[in-house]
Amino acid sequence: MSLVAEAFVSQIAATEPWPENATLYQQLRGEQILLSDNAASLAVQAFLQMCNLPIRVECRANAEYMSPSGKVPFIHVGNQVVSELGPIVQFVKAKGHSLSDGLDEVQKAEMKAYMELVNNMLLTAELYLQWCDEATVGEITHARYGSPYPWPLNHILAYQKQWEVKRKMKAIGWGNKTLDQVLEDVDQCCQALSQRLGTQHYFFNKQPTELDALVFGHLYTILTTQLTSDELSEKVKNYSNLLAFCRRIEQCYFEDQCKGRLS
Amino acid sequence: MAAPLELSCWGGGWGLPSVHSESLVVMAYAKFSGAPLKVNVIDKTWRGSRGDVPILTTEDNIVSQPAKILNFLRKQKYNADCELSAKQGADTLAYIALLEEKLLPAVLHTFWVENDNYFTVTKPWFASRIPFPLSLILPGRMSRGALNRILLTRGEPPLYHVNEVEAKIYRDAKECLNLLSNRLGTSQFFFGDTPSTLDAYVFGFLAPLYKVHFPKVHLQEHLKQLSNLCRLCDDILNSYFRHGPVASRPGGLPVPSAAVFLFTRRKHHLTPIILWTS
Repeated sequence: MSLVAEAFVSQIAATEPWPENATLYQQLRGEQILLSDNAASLAVQAFLQMCNLPIRVECRANAEYMSPSGKVPFIHVGNQVVSELGPIVQFVKAKGHSLSDGLDEVQKAEMKAYMELVNNMLLTAELYLQWCDEATVGEITHARYGSPYPWPLNHILAYQKQWEVKRKMKAIGWGNKTLDQVLEDVDQCCQALSQRLGTQHYFFNKQPTELDALVFGHLYTILTTQLTSDELSEKVKNYSNLLAFCRRIEQCYFEDQCKGRLS
Repeated sequence: MAAPLELSCWGGGWGLPSVHSESLVVMAYAKFSGAPLKVNVIDKTWRGSRGDVPILTTEDNIVSQPAKILNFLRKQKYNADCELSAKQGADTLAYIALLEEKLLPAVLHTFWVENDNYFTVTKPWFASRIPFPLSLILPGRMSRGALNRILLTRGEPPLYHVNEVEAKIYRDAKECLNLLSNRLGTSQFFFGDTPSTLDAYVFGFLAPLYKVHFPKVHLQEHLKQLSNLCRLCDDILNSYFRHGPVASRPGGLPVPSAAVFLFTRRKHHLTPIILWTS
Protein backbone atom coordinates (compact mmCIF):
# COMPACT_ATOMS: atom_id res chain seq x y z
CA MET A 1 0.00 0.00 0.00
CA SER A 2 1.25 3.49 -0.70
CA LEU A 3 1.79 5.87 2.19
CA VAL A 4 -1.34 7.87 1.44
CA ALA A 5 -3.51 4.78 1.30
CA GLU A 6 -2.06 3.53 4.57
CA ALA A 7 -2.79 6.81 6.35
CA PHE A 8 -6.31 6.76 4.97
CA VAL A 9 -6.94 3.20 6.16
CA SER A 10 -5.63 4.08 9.62
CA GLN A 11 -8.04 6.97 9.83
CA ILE A 12 -10.98 4.81 8.93
CA ALA A 13 -9.82 1.98 11.16
CA ALA A 14 -9.70 4.25 14.17
CA THR A 15 -13.36 5.08 13.99
CA GLU A 16 -14.81 1.57 14.09
CA PRO A 17 -14.61 -0.95 16.91
CA TRP A 18 -13.44 -4.51 16.30
CA PRO A 19 -16.36 -6.45 14.81
CA GLU A 20 -17.44 -9.92 15.85
CA ASN A 21 -17.10 -11.42 12.39
CA ALA A 22 -13.44 -10.59 11.76
CA THR A 23 -11.93 -13.34 9.64
CA LEU A 24 -8.42 -14.55 8.95
CA TYR A 25 -7.75 -16.25 5.62
CA GLN A 26 -5.04 -18.80 5.01
CA GLN A 27 -4.52 -21.76 2.73
CA LEU A 28 -6.03 -25.20 3.33
CA ARG A 29 -4.62 -26.51 6.53
CA GLY A 30 -4.45 -30.18 5.83
CA GLU A 31 -3.28 -30.44 2.25
CA GLN A 32 -1.97 -27.15 0.98
CA ILE A 33 -0.38 -24.82 3.50
CA LEU A 34 3.40 -24.76 3.69
CA LEU A 35 5.73 -24.31 6.65
CA SER A 36 6.46 -20.60 6.20
CA ASP A 37 2.84 -19.62 5.57
CA ASN A 38 1.66 -21.68 8.52
CA ALA A 39 4.19 -19.93 10.75
CA ALA A 40 3.04 -16.50 9.59
CA SER A 41 -0.60 -17.38 10.09
CA LEU A 42 -0.02 -18.79 13.55
CA ALA A 43 1.92 -15.66 14.52
CA VAL A 44 -1.03 -13.45 13.56
CA GLN A 45 -3.49 -15.70 15.38
CA ALA A 46 -1.32 -15.64 18.50
CA PHE A 47 -1.05 -11.84 18.32
CA LEU A 48 -4.81 -11.39 18.05
CA GLN A 49 -5.38 -13.82 20.92
CA MET A 50 -2.93 -11.85 23.03
CA CYS A 51 -4.90 -8.68 22.29
CA ASN A 52 -8.11 -10.51 23.20
CA LEU A 53 -9.65 -9.85 19.79
CA PRO A 54 -11.90 -12.57 18.41
CA ILE A 55 -10.98 -13.94 15.01
CA ARG A 56 -12.35 -16.73 12.87
CA VAL A 57 -9.99 -18.74 10.67
CA GLU A 58 -11.14 -19.53 7.13
CA CYS A 59 -9.18 -21.84 4.86
CA ARG A 60 -9.30 -21.08 1.17
CA ALA A 61 -7.24 -22.58 -1.63
CA ASN A 62 -6.71 -19.21 -3.33
CA ALA A 63 -5.88 -17.25 -0.18
CA GLU A 64 -2.55 -16.16 -1.64
CA TYR A 65 -4.26 -14.56 -4.60
CA MET A 66 -6.96 -12.90 -2.54
CA SER A 67 -4.40 -11.17 -0.37
CA PRO A 68 -3.66 -7.53 -1.28
CA SER A 69 0.09 -8.04 -1.05
CA GLY A 70 0.26 -11.62 -2.28
CA LYS A 71 1.23 -12.95 1.13
CA VAL A 72 -0.78 -14.87 3.65
CA PRO A 73 -2.32 -14.53 6.13
CA PHE A 74 -4.63 -11.60 5.71
CA ILE A 75 -7.53 -10.46 7.84
CA HIS A 76 -10.87 -9.14 6.74
CA VAL A 77 -12.19 -6.70 9.31
CA GLY A 78 -15.27 -4.59 8.62
CA ASN A 79 -14.60 -3.53 5.05
CA GLN A 80 -10.82 -3.49 5.22
CA VAL A 81 -8.36 -6.16 4.22
CA VAL A 82 -4.89 -6.12 5.76
CA SER A 83 -2.15 -8.67 5.20
CA GLU A 84 1.07 -9.63 6.99
CA LEU A 85 1.92 -9.23 10.65
CA GLY A 86 3.54 -5.77 10.44
CA PRO A 87 0.58 -3.96 8.86
CA ILE A 88 -1.88 -5.96 11.00
CA VAL A 89 -0.12 -4.80 14.18
CA GLN A 90 -0.38 -1.20 13.00
CA PHE A 91 -4.01 -1.64 12.01
CA VAL A 92 -4.87 -3.08 15.41
CA LYS A 93 -2.98 -0.22 17.05
CA ALA A 94 -5.07 2.29 15.10
CA LYS A 95 -8.13 0.65 16.63
CA GLY A 96 -6.72 1.25 20.08
CA HIS A 97 -5.24 -2.13 21.01
CA SER A 98 -1.52 -2.42 21.46
CA LEU A 99 0.80 -4.81 23.25
CA SER A 100 3.93 -2.70 23.09
CA ASP A 101 2.73 0.60 24.57
CA GLY A 102 4.39 -0.12 27.89
CA LEU A 103 7.85 -0.36 26.34
CA ASP A 104 10.31 2.52 26.37
CA GLU A 105 12.13 3.71 23.23
CA VAL A 106 15.16 1.47 23.66
CA GLN A 107 12.98 -1.58 24.24
CA LYS A 108 10.87 -0.78 21.19
CA ALA A 109 14.06 -0.58 19.11
CA GLU A 110 15.14 -3.96 20.48
CA MET A 111 11.76 -5.49 19.76
CA LYS A 112 11.81 -4.30 16.15
CA ALA A 113 15.38 -5.53 15.76
CA TYR A 114 14.54 -9.00 17.05
CA MET A 115 11.47 -9.19 14.80
CA GLU A 116 13.73 -8.41 11.85
CA LEU A 117 16.14 -11.10 13.03
CA VAL A 118 13.36 -13.68 12.98
CA ASN A 119 12.23 -12.54 9.53
CA ASN A 120 15.75 -12.35 8.21
CA MET A 121 16.99 -15.70 9.46
CA LEU A 122 14.14 -18.00 10.45
CA LEU A 123 11.69 -17.11 7.72
CA THR A 124 14.36 -17.10 5.00
CA ALA A 125 15.66 -20.45 6.24
CA GLU A 126 12.14 -21.87 6.11
CA LEU A 127 11.70 -20.61 2.56
CA TYR A 128 15.09 -22.02 1.60
CA LEU A 129 14.26 -25.41 3.04
CA GLN A 130 10.90 -25.50 1.34
CA TRP A 131 11.86 -24.31 -2.09
CA CYS A 132 15.60 -24.74 -2.60
CA ASP A 133 16.29 -28.07 -0.95
CA GLU A 134 15.66 -30.66 -3.65
CA ALA A 135 14.57 -33.45 -1.32
CA THR A 136 11.92 -31.36 0.42
CA VAL A 137 10.76 -29.79 -2.81
CA GLY A 138 10.24 -33.10 -4.52
CA GLU A 139 8.62 -34.92 -1.64
CA ILE A 140 6.55 -32.29 0.05
CA THR A 141 6.40 -28.80 -1.39
CA HIS A 142 5.44 -29.40 -5.01
CA ALA A 143 2.73 -31.84 -4.08
CA ARG A 144 1.26 -29.62 -1.38
CA TYR A 145 1.45 -26.30 -3.18
CA GLY A 146 -0.38 -27.45 -6.28
CA SER A 147 -2.80 -29.85 -4.59
CA PRO A 148 -6.06 -27.88 -5.08
CA TYR A 149 -5.46 -27.44 -8.79
CA PRO A 150 -5.87 -29.85 -11.71
CA TRP A 151 -3.02 -31.01 -13.89
CA PRO A 152 -1.09 -29.25 -15.47
CA LEU A 153 -1.81 -26.14 -13.44
CA ASN A 154 -0.48 -27.67 -10.25
CA HIS A 155 2.96 -28.22 -11.76
CA ILE A 156 3.09 -24.82 -13.48
CA LEU A 157 2.18 -22.88 -10.34
CA ALA A 158 4.62 -24.82 -8.21
CA TYR A 159 7.51 -24.26 -10.63
CA GLN A 160 6.64 -20.59 -10.98
CA LYS A 161 6.68 -20.09 -7.23
CA GLN A 162 9.92 -22.00 -6.90
CA TRP A 163 11.55 -19.82 -9.55
CA GLU A 164 10.38 -16.67 -7.74
CA VAL A 165 11.73 -17.83 -4.40
CA LYS A 166 15.05 -18.90 -5.91
CA ARG A 167 15.41 -15.49 -7.53
CA LYS A 168 14.86 -13.81 -4.20
CA MET A 169 17.36 -16.09 -2.46
CA LYS A 170 19.97 -15.27 -5.07
CA ALA A 171 19.36 -11.52 -4.71
CA ILE A 172 19.93 -11.58 -0.96
CA GLY A 173 23.01 -13.79 -1.16
CA TRP A 174 21.50 -17.08 0.01
CA GLY A 175 21.65 -18.65 -3.43
CA ASN A 176 25.00 -20.33 -2.83
CA LYS A 177 24.38 -21.50 0.68
CA THR A 178 24.32 -25.17 1.47
CA LEU A 179 21.72 -26.76 3.71
CA ASP A 180 24.27 -27.10 6.50
CA GLN A 181 25.06 -23.42 6.42
CA VAL A 182 21.36 -22.58 6.54
CA LEU A 183 20.86 -24.87 9.53
CA GLU A 184 23.82 -23.20 11.23
CA ASP A 185 22.16 -19.83 10.71
CA VAL A 186 18.96 -21.19 12.25
CA ASP A 187 20.99 -22.39 15.21
CA GLN A 188 22.60 -18.97 15.61
CA CYS A 189 19.20 -17.29 15.49
CA CYS A 190 17.73 -19.68 18.06
CA GLN A 191 20.75 -19.14 20.28
CA ALA A 192 20.27 -15.37 20.11
CA LEU A 193 16.56 -15.71 20.92
CA SER A 194 17.31 -18.10 23.76
CA GLN A 195 19.90 -15.76 25.23
CA ARG A 196 17.55 -12.81 24.97
CA LEU A 197 14.69 -14.73 26.57
CA GLY A 198 16.84 -16.08 29.39
CA THR A 199 14.64 -17.23 32.26
CA GLN A 200 11.85 -14.72 31.67
CA HIS A 201 8.37 -15.77 30.71
CA TYR A 202 8.14 -13.39 27.77
CA PHE A 203 10.71 -11.33 25.91
CA PHE A 204 9.76 -8.05 27.57
CA ASN A 205 8.67 -7.74 31.19
CA LYS A 206 5.80 -9.99 32.16
CA GLN A 207 3.59 -9.17 29.20
CA PRO A 208 3.67 -10.67 25.74
CA THR A 209 4.30 -8.44 22.73
CA GLU A 210 4.16 -8.94 18.97
CA LEU A 211 7.69 -10.32 19.15
CA ASP A 212 6.46 -13.17 21.35
CA ALA A 213 3.66 -13.88 18.86
CA LEU A 214 6.08 -13.95 15.94
CA VAL A 215 8.64 -16.16 17.66
CA PHE A 216 5.91 -18.51 18.85
CA GLY A 217 4.43 -18.78 15.35
CA HIS A 218 7.72 -19.77 13.79
CA LEU A 219 9.10 -22.02 16.51
CA TYR A 220 5.86 -23.90 17.12
CA THR A 221 5.42 -24.55 13.41
CA ILE A 222 9.01 -25.76 13.07
CA LEU A 223 8.56 -28.08 16.03
CA THR A 224 5.29 -29.56 14.89
CA THR A 225 5.71 -29.86 11.12
CA GLN A 226 6.76 -33.14 9.65
CA LEU A 227 9.55 -32.65 7.08
CA THR A 228 11.83 -35.06 5.27
CA SER A 229 14.30 -34.89 8.13
CA ASP A 230 14.22 -33.66 11.70
CA GLU A 231 17.29 -31.48 11.47
CA LEU A 232 15.41 -28.18 11.64
CA SER A 233 13.34 -29.07 14.68
CA GLU A 234 16.39 -30.58 16.38
CA LYS A 235 18.07 -27.19 16.18
CA VAL A 236 15.19 -25.60 18.08
CA LYS A 237 14.93 -28.46 20.59
CA ASN A 238 18.46 -27.74 21.77
CA TYR A 239 17.16 -24.72 23.64
CA SER A 240 14.94 -25.73 26.53
CA ASN A 241 13.77 -22.24 27.41
CA LEU A 242 12.41 -21.78 23.89
CA LEU A 243 10.50 -25.06 24.20
CA ALA A 244 9.06 -23.96 27.54
CA PHE A 245 8.15 -20.60 25.98
CA CYS A 246 6.20 -22.26 23.15
CA ARG A 247 4.42 -24.58 25.56
CA ARG A 248 3.48 -21.67 27.82
CA ILE A 249 1.99 -19.59 25.00
CA GLU A 250 0.16 -22.59 23.61
CA GLN A 251 -1.39 -23.29 27.00
CA CYS A 252 -2.26 -19.68 27.75
CA TYR A 253 -3.67 -18.57 24.46
CA PHE A 254 -4.72 -21.61 22.54
CA GLU A 255 -5.95 -23.98 25.19
CA ASP A 256 -7.61 -21.33 27.34
CA GLN A 257 -5.97 -22.61 30.48
CA CYS A 258 -5.03 -19.26 31.86
CA LYS A 259 -7.42 -16.92 30.12
CA GLY A 260 -7.56 -13.58 31.88
CA ARG A 261 -4.47 -14.30 33.95
CA LEU A 262 -1.17 -12.79 32.88
CA SER A 263 1.91 -14.60 34.15
CA MET B 1 52.86 -14.64 13.95
CA ALA B 2 49.71 -15.50 12.02
CA ALA B 3 49.78 -15.94 8.28
CA PRO B 4 49.49 -12.62 6.43
CA LEU B 5 45.90 -11.58 5.87
CA GLU B 6 45.15 -9.66 2.70
CA LEU B 7 41.94 -7.84 2.06
CA SER B 8 40.84 -6.87 -1.41
CA CYS B 9 38.34 -4.07 -1.39
CA TRP B 10 37.15 -0.86 -2.99
CA GLY B 11 39.15 2.24 -2.18
CA GLY B 12 38.22 5.37 -0.31
CA GLY B 13 37.27 8.96 -0.85
CA TRP B 14 35.62 11.88 0.90
CA GLY B 15 37.66 11.13 4.02
CA LEU B 16 36.73 7.46 4.22
CA PRO B 17 39.07 4.48 3.85
CA SER B 18 36.49 2.89 1.59
CA VAL B 19 33.19 4.02 0.09
CA HIS B 20 31.85 0.49 -0.15
CA SER B 21 29.77 -0.43 2.91
CA GLU B 22 30.80 -4.07 3.17
CA SER B 23 34.50 -3.31 2.74
CA LEU B 24 34.22 -0.64 5.41
CA VAL B 25 32.59 -3.08 7.86
CA VAL B 26 35.49 -5.50 7.48
CA MET B 27 38.14 -2.78 7.75
CA ALA B 28 36.54 -1.35 10.88
CA TYR B 29 36.25 -4.76 12.52
CA ALA B 30 39.88 -5.51 11.74
CA LYS B 31 40.88 -2.26 13.42
CA PHE B 32 38.77 -2.94 16.49
CA SER B 33 40.04 -6.47 16.95
CA GLY B 34 43.67 -5.73 16.12
CA ALA B 35 43.86 -8.04 13.13
CA PRO B 36 46.89 -7.17 10.96
CA LEU B 37 45.28 -6.67 7.59
CA LYS B 38 47.04 -5.76 4.40
CA VAL B 39 44.59 -3.77 2.34
CA ASN B 40 44.75 -4.14 -1.42
CA VAL B 41 42.68 -1.44 -3.02
CA ILE B 42 41.12 -2.32 -6.34
CA ASP B 43 42.56 -0.16 -9.07
CA LYS B 44 42.73 0.15 -12.81
CA THR B 45 45.07 -2.77 -13.29
CA TRP B 46 43.78 -6.25 -13.98
CA ARG B 47 45.25 -7.55 -10.76
CA GLY B 48 42.83 -9.09 -8.31
CA SER B 49 39.17 -9.83 -8.71
CA ARG B 50 36.29 -7.45 -8.59
CA GLY B 51 33.64 -9.99 -8.01
CA ASP B 52 32.56 -10.61 -4.47
CA VAL B 53 34.48 -7.79 -2.91
CA PRO B 54 35.50 -7.62 -0.05
CA ILE B 55 37.62 -10.76 -0.20
CA LEU B 56 40.03 -11.94 2.45
CA THR B 57 42.97 -14.03 1.27
CA THR B 58 45.29 -16.00 3.49
CA GLU B 59 47.82 -18.67 2.62
CA ASP B 60 45.25 -21.41 2.18
CA ASN B 61 41.87 -19.74 2.34
CA ILE B 62 39.76 -17.36 0.36
CA VAL B 63 36.79 -15.93 2.26
CA SER B 64 34.18 -13.60 0.85
CA GLN B 65 31.17 -11.76 2.35
CA PRO B 66 31.52 -9.68 5.51
CA ALA B 67 29.75 -12.14 7.85
CA LYS B 68 32.02 -15.00 6.82
CA ILE B 69 35.14 -12.83 6.97
CA LEU B 70 34.27 -11.69 10.49
CA ASN B 71 33.67 -15.29 11.55
CA PHE B 72 37.03 -16.26 10.10
CA LEU B 73 38.80 -13.47 11.96
CA ARG B 74 37.10 -14.52 15.17
CA LYS B 75 38.34 -18.08 14.70
CA GLN B 76 41.85 -16.68 14.29
CA LYS B 77 41.42 -15.15 17.76
CA TYR B 78 40.83 -11.60 16.54
CA ASN B 79 37.68 -11.01 18.49
CA ALA B 80 36.23 -7.56 19.11
CA ASP B 81 33.33 -8.94 21.12
CA CYS B 82 35.18 -10.61 23.98
CA GLU B 83 33.81 -8.16 26.51
CA LEU B 84 30.19 -8.58 25.53
CA SER B 85 27.69 -10.60 27.52
CA ALA B 86 25.59 -13.31 25.87
CA LYS B 87 22.58 -11.02 25.68
CA GLN B 88 24.63 -8.26 24.06
CA GLY B 89 25.87 -10.77 21.50
CA ALA B 90 22.25 -11.68 20.74
CA ASP B 91 21.36 -7.98 20.47
CA THR B 92 24.21 -7.54 17.97
CA LEU B 93 22.72 -10.18 15.67
CA ALA B 94 19.28 -8.61 15.95
CA TYR B 95 20.48 -5.07 15.17
CA ILE B 96 22.53 -6.30 12.22
CA ALA B 97 19.36 -7.95 10.86
CA LEU B 98 17.54 -4.63 11.36
CA LEU B 99 20.25 -2.78 9.41
CA GLU B 100 20.13 -5.24 6.55
CA GLU B 101 16.35 -5.28 6.28
CA LYS B 102 15.49 -1.63 6.84
CA LEU B 103 18.52 0.48 6.06
CA LEU B 104 20.35 -1.39 3.32
CA PRO B 105 17.60 -1.00 0.65
CA ALA B 106 17.63 2.77 1.10
CA VAL B 107 21.45 2.95 1.04
CA LEU B 108 21.50 0.86 -2.14
CA HIS B 109 18.85 3.11 -3.63
CA THR B 110 20.75 6.30 -2.76
CA PHE B 111 23.98 5.00 -4.29
CA TRP B 112 22.87 2.89 -7.21
CA VAL B 113 19.30 3.53 -8.23
CA GLU B 114 18.60 7.24 -7.75
CA ASN B 115 19.48 8.56 -11.20
CA ASP B 116 21.08 11.87 -10.19
CA ASN B 117 23.30 10.21 -7.61
CA TYR B 118 24.21 7.24 -9.75
CA PHE B 119 25.19 9.11 -12.90
CA THR B 120 27.01 12.02 -11.27
CA VAL B 121 28.77 10.34 -8.37
CA THR B 122 28.66 6.55 -8.11
CA LYS B 123 29.19 5.49 -11.70
CA PRO B 124 32.14 7.82 -12.45
CA TRP B 125 33.80 6.88 -9.17
CA PHE B 126 33.60 3.14 -9.74
CA ALA B 127 34.31 3.37 -13.46
CA SER B 128 37.54 5.24 -12.73
CA ARG B 129 38.72 2.31 -10.67
CA ILE B 130 37.93 -0.45 -13.15
CA PRO B 131 40.00 -1.09 -16.27
CA PHE B 132 38.46 -0.52 -19.66
CA PRO B 133 36.37 -2.21 -21.09
CA LEU B 134 35.06 -3.67 -17.84
CA SER B 135 34.34 -0.13 -16.67
CA LEU B 136 31.54 0.05 -19.19
CA ILE B 137 29.86 -3.09 -17.93
CA LEU B 138 30.47 -3.56 -14.24
CA PRO B 139 28.89 -0.40 -12.78
CA GLY B 140 25.73 -1.07 -14.78
CA ARG B 141 25.64 -4.61 -13.52
CA MET B 142 26.08 -3.50 -9.91
CA SER B 143 23.28 -1.00 -10.37
CA ARG B 144 20.93 -3.61 -11.78
CA GLY B 145 21.85 -5.98 -8.96
CA ALA B 146 20.95 -3.32 -6.41
CA LEU B 147 17.63 -2.55 -8.08
CA ASN B 148 16.84 -6.24 -8.27
CA ARG B 149 17.52 -6.71 -4.61
CA ILE B 150 15.31 -3.80 -3.63
CA LEU B 151 12.40 -4.95 -5.78
CA LEU B 152 12.59 -8.61 -4.85
CA THR B 153 12.70 -7.96 -1.14
CA ARG B 154 10.39 -4.96 -0.85
CA GLY B 155 8.37 -4.77 -4.01
CA GLU B 156 4.85 -6.10 -4.10
CA PRO B 157 3.44 -8.09 -6.97
CA PRO B 158 2.05 -7.50 -9.51
CA LEU B 159 3.44 -3.97 -9.66
CA TYR B 160 7.19 -4.51 -9.31
CA HIS B 161 8.11 -0.91 -9.88
CA VAL B 162 10.69 1.07 -8.01
CA ASN B 163 8.49 4.15 -7.56
CA GLU B 164 6.02 2.15 -5.51
CA VAL B 165 8.65 1.15 -3.03
CA GLU B 166 10.77 4.31 -2.87
CA ALA B 167 8.62 6.06 -0.32
CA LYS B 168 8.35 2.90 1.78
CA ILE B 169 12.06 2.14 1.88
CA TYR B 170 13.04 5.70 2.78
CA ARG B 171 10.45 5.78 5.52
CA ASP B 172 11.76 2.47 6.90
CA ALA B 173 15.35 3.73 6.68
CA LYS B 174 14.53 6.88 8.63
CA GLU B 175 12.77 4.81 11.27
CA CYS B 176 15.79 2.52 11.47
CA LEU B 177 18.13 5.50 11.92
CA ASN B 178 15.90 6.84 14.69
CA LEU B 179 15.90 3.45 16.41
CA LEU B 180 19.69 3.25 16.22
CA SER B 181 20.01 6.74 17.60
CA ASN B 182 17.70 5.87 20.50
CA ARG B 183 19.69 2.75 21.24
CA LEU B 184 23.05 4.55 21.13
CA GLY B 185 21.86 7.37 23.38
CA THR B 186 24.80 9.22 24.88
CA SER B 187 27.29 6.37 25.22
CA GLN B 188 30.45 6.34 23.17
CA PHE B 189 29.86 3.01 21.44
CA PHE B 190 26.86 0.72 21.37
CA PHE B 191 28.10 -1.50 24.19
CA GLY B 192 30.11 0.64 26.54
CA ASP B 193 33.50 2.18 25.88
CA THR B 194 35.02 -0.27 23.45
CA PRO B 195 33.79 -0.77 19.90
CA SER B 196 32.42 -4.13 18.83
CA THR B 197 30.95 -5.88 15.78
CA LEU B 198 27.77 -3.83 15.89
CA ASP B 199 29.76 -0.58 15.82
CA ALA B 200 31.64 -1.91 12.78
CA TYR B 201 28.40 -2.67 10.95
CA VAL B 202 26.73 0.63 11.83
CA PHE B 203 29.89 2.51 10.82
CA GLY B 204 30.11 0.57 7.56
CA PHE B 205 26.52 1.37 6.57
CA LEU B 206 26.33 4.94 7.83
CA ALA B 207 29.72 6.43 7.04
CA PRO B 208 29.34 6.42 3.24
CA LEU B 209 25.86 7.87 3.60
CA TYR B 210 27.22 10.54 5.93
CA LYS B 211 30.33 11.57 4.03
CA VAL B 212 29.82 11.10 0.31
CA HIS B 213 28.61 14.25 -1.45
CA PHE B 214 25.43 13.47 -3.32
CA PRO B 215 23.16 15.78 -5.33
CA LYS B 216 20.04 14.17 -3.82
CA VAL B 217 20.61 14.25 -0.08
CA HIS B 218 17.26 13.14 1.29
CA LEU B 219 18.43 10.48 3.71
CA GLN B 220 21.73 12.19 4.39
CA GLU B 221 19.92 15.23 5.80
CA HIS B 222 17.99 13.00 8.17
CA LEU B 223 21.17 11.28 9.28
CA LYS B 224 22.92 14.59 9.92
CA GLN B 225 20.18 15.54 12.35
CA LEU B 226 20.99 12.49 14.49
CA SER B 227 24.10 13.94 16.05
CA ASN B 228 25.05 10.93 18.16
CA LEU B 229 25.30 8.67 15.09
CA CYS B 230 27.41 11.28 13.26
CA ARG B 231 29.59 11.58 16.34
CA LEU B 232 30.08 7.79 16.37
CA CYS B 233 31.24 7.81 12.73
CA ASP B 234 33.59 10.73 13.31
CA ASP B 235 35.03 9.16 16.47
CA ILE B 236 35.79 5.90 14.68
CA LEU B 237 37.31 7.72 11.72
CA ASN B 238 39.52 9.88 13.92
CA SER B 239 40.63 7.17 16.30
CA TYR B 240 41.13 4.24 13.96
CA PHE B 241 41.57 5.66 10.50
CA ARG B 242 43.83 8.61 11.04
CA HIS B 243 45.04 9.68 7.61
CA GLY B 244 47.47 12.14 6.11
CA PRO B 245 46.81 15.42 4.24
CA VAL B 246 43.59 15.96 2.35
CA ALA B 247 41.60 12.98 1.09
CA SER B 248 41.49 12.88 -2.69
CA ARG B 249 38.22 13.18 -4.54
CA PRO B 250 37.84 12.58 -8.27
CA GLY B 251 36.92 15.67 -10.30
CA GLY B 252 35.83 19.04 -8.97
CA LEU B 253 37.56 20.32 -5.88
CA PRO B 254 41.20 21.46 -6.07
CA VAL B 255 43.10 18.81 -4.11
CA PRO B 256 46.73 17.69 -4.11
CA SER B 257 47.38 14.92 -6.59
CA ALA B 258 48.47 12.30 -4.05
CA ALA B 259 47.44 11.46 -0.52
CA VAL B 260 49.14 9.03 1.82
CA PHE B 261 46.88 6.90 3.99
CA LEU B 262 48.59 5.72 7.08
CA PHE B 263 46.82 2.89 8.82
CA THR B 264 47.98 2.53 12.37
CA ARG B 265 46.62 0.98 15.48
CA ARG B 266 46.68 3.09 18.60
CA LYS B 267 49.96 2.78 20.49
CA HIS B 268 50.99 -0.29 18.52
CA HIS B 269 53.15 -1.14 15.57
CA LEU B 270 52.66 0.17 12.07
CA THR B 271 50.71 -1.75 9.48
CA PRO B 272 51.56 -1.30 5.80
CA ILE B 273 51.32 2.13 4.24
CA ILE B 274 48.97 2.47 1.29
CA LEU B 275 49.99 4.93 -1.39
CA TRP B 276 46.98 6.42 -3.08
CA THR B 277 47.05 8.56 -6.18
CA SER B 278 44.01 10.24 -7.63
